[in-house]
Amino acid sequence: MAESYRVVATAKSGCSSSVPSLPPPCPKSPPEYPDLYGKRREMAKVQMLEREIGFLEEELKSVDSLQPASRCCKEVTEFVVANPDPLMPTNRKNRRSCRFWKWLCGIPCFNFSWICCCCYSGCSLRIHLPRCCDCNCNCDPCDLCNCCSCIRCPAPNWRCCSCRSCCPFPCSCSCCCPCSCSCPCSCSCPRSSCCRNISCCSDCCTCGFPSCPDCSCCRCSFPECSCCTWLCCCPRWTFSAPKCPKSPKCPEVRLCSNCTKTCCNPCCLFF
Amino acid sequence: MSVAELKARHVAATETVNSLRERLQQKRLLLLDTDVVAVAGYAKAHGKSSVSFGATDLVCCRTLQGHTGKVYSLDWTPEKNRIVSASQDGRLIVWNALTSQKTHAIKLPCAWVMTCAFSPTGQFVACGGLDSVCSIFNLNSPSDKDGNLPESKMLSGHKGYVSSCQYVPDEDTHLITSSGDHTCVLWDITTGLRTSVFGGEFQSGHTADVLSVSINGSNSRMFVSGSCDSTARLWDTRVASRAVRTFHGHEGDVNTVKFFPDGNRFGTGSDDGTCRLFDIRTGHQLQEYYQQHSDDEVRHVTSIAFSISGRLLFAGYSNGDCYVWDTLLAQCIAGKIWPLFLKGNGKCTHMPFWLF
Repeated sequence: MAESYRVVATAKSGCSSSVPSLPPPCPKSPPEYPDLYGKRREMAKVQMLEREIGFLEEELKSVDSLQPASRCCKEVTEFVVANPDPLMPTNRKNRRSCRFWKWLCGIPCFNFSWICCCCYSGCSLRIHLPRCCDCNCNCDPCDLCNCCSCIRCPAPNWRCCSCRSCCPFPCSCSCCCPCSCSCPCSCSCPRSSCCRNISCCSDCCTCGFPSCPDCSCCRCSFPECSCCTWLCCCPRWTFSAPKCPKSPKCPEVRLCSNCTKTCCNPCCLFF
Repeated sequence: MSVAELKARHVAATETVNSLRERLQQKRLLLLDTDVVAVAGYAKAHGKSSVSFGATDLVCCRTLQGHTGKVYSLDWTPEKNRIVSASQDGRLIVWNALTSQKTHAIKLPCAWVMTCAFSPTGQFVACGGLDSVCSIFNLNSPSDKDGNLPESKMLSGHKGYVSSCQYVPDEDTHLITSSGDHTCVLWDITTGLRTSVFGGEFQSGHTADVLSVSINGSNSRMFVSGSCDSTARLWDTRVASRAVRTFHGHEGDVNTVKFFPDGNRFGTGSDDGTCRLFDIRTGHQLQEYYQQHSDDEVRHVTSIAFSISGRLLFAGYSNGDCYVWDTLLAQCIAGKIWPLFLKGNGKCTHMPFWLF
């Protein structure tokens, strides 16, 4: 390039020396580099297919020595018949005679659990007594579970109850019933369950566990709140919408005609 | 070799693979020496009578209320006295299955959870989802100052979402995950590292998202996986480079796989609306479970479970229905038993309770 300029300058200055005129400069086209990345990937695919061919040929050779399907079916049938299944219905005769015991032993506050234990061992009736193992008690399964000898409950401030479980303080327990929160506050929640915190009704939305399937007991400023989120009654996702993870890869997209979210298309799965 | 030559080799290899698969299928058909409906044909021929449920034989005995979003997954402890459930509300809840009490409510770092599992000892729970990480929580560890249970381990390495996870039986230190990155991974939880990767870009394995895993209860070295590539594959954890066997037949994504109680068969559920029973030693498809509906709508099978004997197959569908199949006679013996009970993907699992 510099030489060309020098030649042109010399010509313009009126120098009479004869200099061959060079063609105007033109940039060269870039060299054609081989698409190495594409070739490597193509080679990898071919190698995988050739491996697959090898596996299929091996399988073809071995398939002749496989046992026929009828033998597999026989094995399945024999296994099923040989193993008792508690979910299989009993025959009608047994059902009638055990119906009374089913009813009796099913009463939550039935105190003669030893009868059920006897039924349990001797009768064809399938009665399952809950074991006193919720709070690591060493109880005879035929006793009414009294967990007052419990050593350990799931959380430090929980205590043993006579109803075979531990309840979070200060909820009280009644015999044979699951924990019901007898709260000092007047409870207006129609269907509250036990809360981790002090009361079960004063502010359902701040309970450790969601306790209000409907928001009727929560003072919610939004007219259309759905079930309580962990924070408070609010339209869904206002406070609890998670951030999209990095580099989201969408799982298989299902029917999501109303889906408007673009991040990961998670709504296609979750809405 | 030039790219053009490689492409030609690719086309030729694909044709060879398809041709070999066709031949294999033909040979397998010759081995189906029973009636077309296999197990059902055999069972009927040997006088097995059908199962019928009375009105009080399958009744709901517990309703576990507490989640505020769809429940996507649940798992039992081996003792069958506790359940862990994972929900779109971003929580794992651990339940006492006998009393319905909640013992733990674990707030997750990522709310988009798709799977959860109990460890064999019941001390740990694992979960995973769209964050591509499998998180482990120790249920006995103390909560942090905010009252949340901290993660005891994060298993990172998947390049796609974690769709399913299961602990290796009798080992709290190993679990297997399936992922949207087309692989399954066996993890060493102690080190947080991958022990083996099954499938993947340059290995022989699934060619689409893997949606489900099930480990053989009789031989924990074997597990099956189900994938969006319409196949299920059997793996040996000692050989990660290739699947032991690939099971074709489904015409849609295989959403769920579960080993049959005897450990030699497994069931699958798919977007094609069918459940199928396969034999792992021979690769035979032994039975198909499908019910045509009057509206012709195909209901995707989202989850399955076998009863203890294997006689009953519970299948959850995308419309929220749950059907009970007689596995021997391939008859639907109870349908729509819990249409409103099951949320989300309609997962129903084997229940240890005797219902009365």
